[in-house]
Amino acid sequence: MGMSSNPPYPLGTVITGKWRGNRYVIQRLLGRGANGTVYLVQRQGRREYYALKIGYDALDLQSEINVLTSLQSRRKRNEYRAQRESPLSSYLLEADDYREDDNKPFYVMRYVQGRPLHHFLSKNGPDWLGLVGLKLLDKLRRLHECGFVFGDLKPENVMVSDVGEAELIDFGGASPMGRSVKQFTEWHDRGFWNAGSRTGDEAYDLFAFAVLCLRLLNEPGLKSAALQLPQTRSVDELLKLARSLPDKKLSSWICHALKGGFNGSAEAMEIWKNHIYGSRKARPEHMATPRWLKNAFGLSLFMLAFTIYWLLRF
Amino acid sequence: MKQILLITDGCSNVGESPVMAAAHALQEGITVNVVGVIDHGTIGELGSREIADIAKAGGGLSRIVGTPQLAQTIQMMTRKTVVQTIQQAVNKEVKKILGDGSLEELPPLQRSQVVNVVDELTETSPLRIALLIDASASMKPKLAAVEDAIRDLALSLEAREGKSEIAVFHFPGRTSSEDAELDMDWTSNVSGVRSLFSKLRMRGATPTGPAIFRVLEHYRYDTLDGHHGRLMTEDPDEREGMIGGYVV
Repeated sequence: MGMSSNPPYPLGTVITGKWRGNRYVIQRLLGRGANGTVYLVQRQGRREYYALKIGYDALDLQSEINVLTSLQSRRKRNEYRAQRESPLSSYLLEADDYREDDNKPFYVMRYVQGRPLHHFLSKNGPDWLGLVGLKLLDKLRRLHECGFVFGDLKPENVMVSDVGEAELIDFGGASPMGRSVKQFTEWHDRGFWNAGSRTGDEAYDLFAFAVLCLRLLNEPGLKSAALQLPQTRSVDELLKLARSLPDKKLSSWICHALKGGFNGSAEAMEIWKNHIYGSRKARPEHMATPRWLKNAFGLSLFMLAFTIYWLLRF
Repeated sequence: MKQILLITDGCSNVGESPVMAAAHALQEGITVNVVGVIDHGTIGELGSREIADIAKAGGGLSRIVGTPQLAQTIQMMTRKTVVQTIQQAVNKEVKKILGDGSLEELPPLQRSQVVNVVDELTETSPLRIALLIDASASMKPKLAAVEDAIRDLALSLEAREGKSEIAVFHFPGRTSSEDAELDMDWTSNVSGVRSLFSKLRMRGATPTGPAIFRVLEHYRYDTLDGHHGRLMTEDPDEREGMIGGYVV
């Protein structure tokens, strides 16, 4: 329970696995999740970077590893069936115990380079939401296809690369569909807003996604809605916020997700793709040419003709 | 699985020792968690020691928090204790089969299988939580937050696959002969958690120990009644057989 207040391991610390004997060198701290601390590491003697998560509790971390393992095997099956050419994005490389420090459990996964979604958008501008949102919805759709819900969806758990590739990180809250959601964050939780159960289903993740959009576009508004008394707190507050967004297509998508109206993430993604991703705002190039400009242009043409005439004459 | 969750903001001052009452609870297979809730000032050394001691005797956890963290804290405690209870039972089985040690000492593959079983049982075992709310005068401004936290807990429990029920008591009761009063009997219905404490009349005494005994009686009475089905910890042989079947 709670965060471990252990100081991070210093740069250069070598973590040796008790069971498999692989050695990883710590490069820097990447972040802390509910179940453990994540470091950027290099396998000793190799160039590739990985992310390594050291758990606070053997059971909690193993539970997370189990989700990743079954996700990986289901995904392999799915990809095989679909004959996709893209390489597997493997979540989990290996799991082991850190012999030198009390046999703390850890696992090694692919390193996702980028910055958290909210930082990405504040750096690059909200125009990116259409594209990044689409990619994120695609990740959710694939996760749901494998029979899992993500649970704790929030900007902090989404990494975005420089070119807008989105990846989900921290699967500590993921659970099989139909089970209770293991970890959640108040603002993003359907139950917190009196808008439904905490049973993991596709709509749960889509609800959290909708709140994520609101948070990215109007965080102060969301904050004041969340501060309401629990008895009066309701999804209506969120709907009001969504309707006040300038982009009407986005606002109606969000309302639909908040009301649990989509048939699933595949449909939600399709509609996002057609209406939000596809509707890039037209550039202001069709602006009517002002009359003074036309007149000035006419005048300069006349002057040109006059000049040529003048030149030719002499 | 059976639990008592005690929410209080101070020391007991009447009747038997709450630490002893919690030890009785543990003896009967009921885990006792304690939350000390304070918004201004401190709970005092005596109070915080008592809170820790009750939880220790009751095999549960204790935390001291302000009202804003209350809902989240009791969620976490409940989940954690459920996992702990299951883990203890499973560990016993694991020792029988594999001879040595705790979860941490198992090789990765076996550990993964054991944790699968623990997760499965955590989600599916029937669970009962009796909430015992200190309703002494100093708690009055916090009761709205307590009620919200109970509603939130009920919502999470409702999402479990296994049958989950809560009951709510407050103490002291209306008359001096009543150590704790039942506000809501076993229910799995979240919408039942509404205006629980609206008709409360606050009184000064804090009979924490006797109140815990009152809840134990309620548990016992209900077990005799028998129509709620058997809970996991009632029959050790049955339980061990079930888990053994999963592990092998």
